Amino acid sequence: MAEPSEEQKAQRAKDLATEAKSQKAQLRQCKRQVAMVFDLNKCLGCQTCVVACKTLWTRDEGMEYMWWATVNTQPGKGTPRDWENMGGGFRDEEPQSGKLPTRRDFGEAWDFNYDEVFFGGKGNSVHLQPSGDPDWGPNWDEDQGGGQYPNSFYFYMPRICNHCTHPACLEACPRNAIYKREEDGIVLISEERCKGYRFCMEACPYKKIYFNHTRQLSQKCIFCYPRVEKGVAPACARQCPGRLRFVGFLDDENGPIYKLVKKWEVALPLHAERGTQPNVYYVPPISPPRFDADGNIDESKPRIPTEYLKYLFGDKVEGALATLKAEMAKTKAGGKSEILDTLIVYEWKSLFGPFTKDPAELEPRKV
Amino acid sequence: MQCKKLTASREQLLDPVAPAWNSIPGEPLTMAATPLANQPSEYIKASRDEKQIGKVRNLMVQAVHNEQDIFIRLSWEDASENVAITDNNQFPDGCGILMPLNASDAQHPDPPIDEMGSKDAPVNAWFWRADFKDEPRNTIAHGLGTTQFSKKSPIQSKSTWGNGAWAVVFMRPLAVPDQKDEMTQLAAGKSVKVGFAVWEGSNGERAGVKSFSKEWRELALES
Repeated sequence: MAEPSEEQKAQRAKDLATEAKSQKAQLRQCKRQVAMVFDLNKCLGCQTCVVACKTLWTRDEGMEYMWWATVNTQPGKGTPRDWENMGGGFRDEEPQSGKLPTRRDFGEAWDFNYDEVFFGGKGNSVHLQPSGDPDWGPNWDEDQGGGQYPNSFYFYMPRICNHCTHPACLEACPRNAIYKREEDGIVLISEERCKGYRFCMEACPYKKIYFNHTRQLSQKCIFCYPRVEKGVAPACARQCPGRLRFVGFLDDENGPIYKLVKKWEVALPLHAERGTQPNVYYVPPISPPRFDADGNIDESKPRIPTEYLKYLFGDKVEGALATLKAEMAKTKAGGKSEILDTLIVYEWKSLFGPFTKDPAELEPRKV
Repeated sequence: MQCKKLTASREQLLDPVAPAWNSIPGEPLTMAATPLANQPSEYIKASRDEKQIGKVRNLMVQAVHNEQDIFIRLSWEDASENVAITDNNQFPDGCGILMPLNASDAQHPDPPIDEMGSKDAPVNAWFWRADFKDEPRNTIAHGLGTTQFSKKSPIQSKSTWGNGAWAVVFMRPLAVPDQKDEMTQLAAGKSVKVGFAVWEGSNGERAGVKSFSKEWRELALES
């Protein structure tokens, strides 16, 4: 058979690309999209969401270093360390090269000397400590934050997989192992199809994909889909004592998510410039004013630099903060604010749209 | 490409450093990067440079059979021995042998070698990876990004790395009647089309990012 000409090869490459594109479009397609809103003004950094997720999903062998849900102090290096500078995502629709975070970057699961301290008779002489000399962990730079006294500042930022509308991971996988569920837009990795190549890990700009070294495949937050299917909110949201994690469908015009994101525009996506259209939104933190050089309060300048919030949440953050402040002024003057009432969450059920069912009421799965 | 008939035991031929291999003629192959434009991922296309793909450019192929089993020995120079996925950014070395699953004829052209076969013309690959503990996988593919391991694999291997080179011997029964849908059937006196691939772990090569032997070669099994 004659060797195909350069022209034929180029045409074939084009045809393959067209076919791949239509397959990817199909994998992205969904009728509805679940979303979350995190109100950063209420996050205490208590890590209850993190542990709720860990206990439910990532206790098996190979998952020791996985934390599908994380909470980090901002400004900070985050989890994995320095993830914001690891590339990935899209620029002008073009996929951007990304780095693979190492296990050390995520923070290895440390071994502690429990036996020695609790059962070895050395409870009074030996400290409980991790073995080795760890130099990073998933919450290593907690409460360090930024700024100089008396204008130091920080806030907590919870993160999960963003279940993006245009997921970089889905686009990157050469095996079409990643897809959005048609009924709710949850992004899942098929463990049947995944071969652990880790292009998804490279491409995700949020670095929310982990490699399971025991099973040799990639894993990530599944938005607790088995709970969602039964009308139960994801564990991280249900367990949050701060009532700051809203869950619902993005198109539910009567739900808090739609109102906070679309109607009032007080909840914004994180690093939207990465082009993946994330479906987790953040109510930005309102900060106290700065002190000037003489130690007087300068109401004109917020403690958290607006530039930093713009870096995280984009230019619309100014509008969102202005709306929140105006609403606060309204209530201070004795008025009513639907926005603030929504964010206060007087009744916990108002957080979860159609996902308010008590998990204790479910029939245990028969194994 | 010749696959001579030899009277030797499995043990003698499965060992990549066995003296028997010294007298078996080899065929040196020039390998090339897999075409980046064909990669089934816009991310891979955007993040890689074809010039950097396929670090291993020379592969030596030797093949013999003893009427029961076929033995194919692949060897190539590789200064770095990558034997395990020690971290998220580490990849093991690997190599593979590709064959059309079904014999081709006038009505059934050869499967496209640079597209891992097609829906109508599947391919069968023998896949060795340095971290598989010499338990190579038997793989079927119907096109780019479609490889699946079969549950059973009668393929065996022995491998060694030393003096900056890998040597891997694959062994398989010529006929595998209970896996006709998953394995190319071989027989003395017949020919089979073959292709080869090498993954250089230190270069982050995995999946379709590898070097390959560009076109099908005819491997003639001596009768």
